[in-house]
Amino acid sequence: MLSLTDLHKKYGEVVALDGCTFGVARGEILGFLGPNGAGKTTAMRTIFGLVVPERGQVSWDGEPISADLKRRFGYMPEQRGLYPKMKIHDQLSYLGRLRGMPAKAAAAAANAWLERFGLAERRLDPLEALSHGNQQRVQLAAAMVHDPELLVLDEPFSGLDPIAAETMSDILREQAVAGKAVVFSSHQLDLVEDLCEEVAIINAGAIVVEGNVRRLKDAAPIRHLELEIEGDVGHLLDTLEGIRQVDSDGTRRTVIIDAATDVREFIARAQEVGRLRHFAYTSPSLSDLFREAVR
Amino acid sequence: MSPLGTVWEIARREIRERGRSKAFLATTVITLLIVVGLIVLPNVLGGDTSEYTVASVGEGNEAIVDAAELLGNATDEPEDEPSVSISIDPVEERDAAETALDEGDVDAILVNGEEVVVVSVGGFGDSPLLGLLQRGAASVELEAVVAESGQVAADVIDVMTSDPLETTTLTGPEAGDESRGAIAYAGLMLLYLAVLIYGTWILSGVTEEKSNRVVEVLLSSIKPWQLLAGKILGIGALGLSQFAGTIAVAIIAVQVTGAAELPSLNAAAVLNLLLWFILGFLLFAVMFGAAGSLVSRMEDANNVAFPMSMIAVAGFFVSLEALREPDGLAAIIGTFIPFTAPFVVPVRAALDSIPLWQYLAAIVITVGTIISLVFVAGRIYAGALLRYGGRVKVREAWRSVSE
Repeated sequence: MLSLTDLHKKYGEVVALDGCTFGVARGEILGFLGPNGAGKTTAMRTIFGLVVPERGQVSWDGEPISADLKRRFGYMPEQRGLYPKMKIHDQLSYLGRLRGMPAKAAAAAANAWLERFGLAERRLDPLEALSHGNQQRVQLAAAMVHDPELLVLDEPFSGLDPIAAETMSDILREQAVAGKAVVFSSHQLDLVEDLCEEVAIINAGAIVVEGNVRRLKDAAPIRHLELEIEGDVGHLLDTLEGIRQVDSDGTRRTVIIDAATDVREFIARAQEVGRLRHFAYTSPSLSDLFREAVR
Repeated sequence: MSPLGTVWEIARREIRERGRSKAFLATTVITLLIVVGLIVLPNVLGGDTSEYTVASVGEGNEAIVDAAELLGNATDEPEDEPSVSISIDPVEERDAAETALDEGDVDAILVNGEEVVVVSVGGFGDSPLLGLLQRGAASVELEAVVAESGQVAADVIDVMTSDPLETTTLTGPEAGDESRGAIAYAGLMLLYLAVLIYGTWILSGVTEEKSNRVVEVLLSSIKPWQLLAGKILGIGALGLSQFAGTIAVAIIAVQVTGAAELPSLNAAAVLNLLLWFILGFLLFAVMFGAAGSLVSRMEDANNVAFPMSMIAVAGFFVSLEALREPDGLAAIIGTFIPFTAPFVVPVRAALDSIPLWQYLAAIVITVGTIISLVFVAGRIYAGALLRYGGRVKVREAWRSVSE
């Protein structure tokens, strides 16, 4: 279990982390969300000692992160980077050895990952000869070549096409099933909703929402209402209490509303105004939760 | 893996990847060609005979030219090609001869055995011809003076060019000083070159890792000091073997061609040079490595290299002063400053003018400085590596690591 506890970090006057606390257990995939500049990358860097917080601890199974422990983790930084002129197989097995694998095991693991990504025939090519998508795959393999117990990925889905994103999701699921703890940050909330049971949302350096996605949705003080009607919707909505937010897409309105509001009467009124074409009242989506949390 | 095992792994990658790169192979080959060329070419070209043509106006010039030619070849070994060959071009009129001289058809004009006309070349590259003709004329006169005693010109020239005194060279501190100075000077030049060339390699190697952002991946698994140490050892080992190889080839070329006489070295002198070479190299390598971490782009690397290059230049000049006056104030002060010591101490030691305590103190100071620099540089390195954009200030880098 990875735990980040009460982390504080300032860059000059800028507060990057302000009491950030969250955790991820083995076998779990945690989606780490937050607007730009909320402190996601800083928090992830503290796990590897790349950023040293002024206050707070990072621990793995209750132990502080030592140099040896770090080698059992895998990290894919937001800023991708490997050696452009080094052969991809050499590159992966080098990183395996740096993390303490014997040379043979590292070479075998490098081959296995290249095979998995369909890059076996290009193992002797320098990284720079590969397409952007393939370079991303090598970068992911670089984080996993030593079979880490914890995988920390900063924006792993950014720049991936839908097929590549699907492969990435599959791999993360696989890793979790194999008992690894997985944390990744993302802005693609639908993807996170699909992939993660657990999320943590950070805003201004502190975690504002954390927990199981299903339970968070059910417990949320808001509901998601979709409505499409022939007639004067504007007037109709004025009669509804507890509206937090309204978006319109053509004739369809999407409304975030207090969970306490009773909508049954509203449906009756709506039917009086005009023909009700579409009506949906559901728990909020992850993106509703997110917007609510960071507002 | 042990911490030092990691350092070795990094060093090995540097050696393998860099050693295989086209840039490395190309610079190695080009350096070797230049070095061998510089040694061998003058030797090949130097075997040729210098040929001159002298315009002769009037009488009495042939004897002078003959004598000049004899003088020019006086030190030749019998099997050698003659060093000098002077041909005579008889010309009726002095004006015509001067025209020929202007146009470069002849190299000098002799007039009636009394006057020589040459073209001024502005003080540079004066040909030895004028000197030979003057001395030739002198020997002709001398011949006239001694003619009554029956000697001939050739005998006169023999006497003039011989070394009648038997020479006995004593070996000892006095006699050996010149070659010791030469060795110290050579060692100094080599250290200076190595610091500038391979220091720059280390600097750009560090900046490169920062600019292609691989550094964040590496530092998620290893410590900054391991990365810095591995890079210095790897690039240092590769660079210094290129350097040693070049020197070895140069020595072989010198011996094969006989271009110069190599001073004999004793083990102590070699150890002294080697020790200070390694200390000096490490000292500067650590500084170059830390400097490289301050910038994110290769274009900015030269700017941060400047202060180190200046320190190396300063060390070099102080050591030249030490070579001139090994017991002087500059030499003594330079001994105790770690940045000049690697340049100054080996020179003083080679000239036998450093007390043992000063020698040992200099080692302690320099080694101590290297060790402290590794920590200082390691911290700057750690603090600066993940900061991108412009040039990171040393103070900022230092502060951003709070340990």
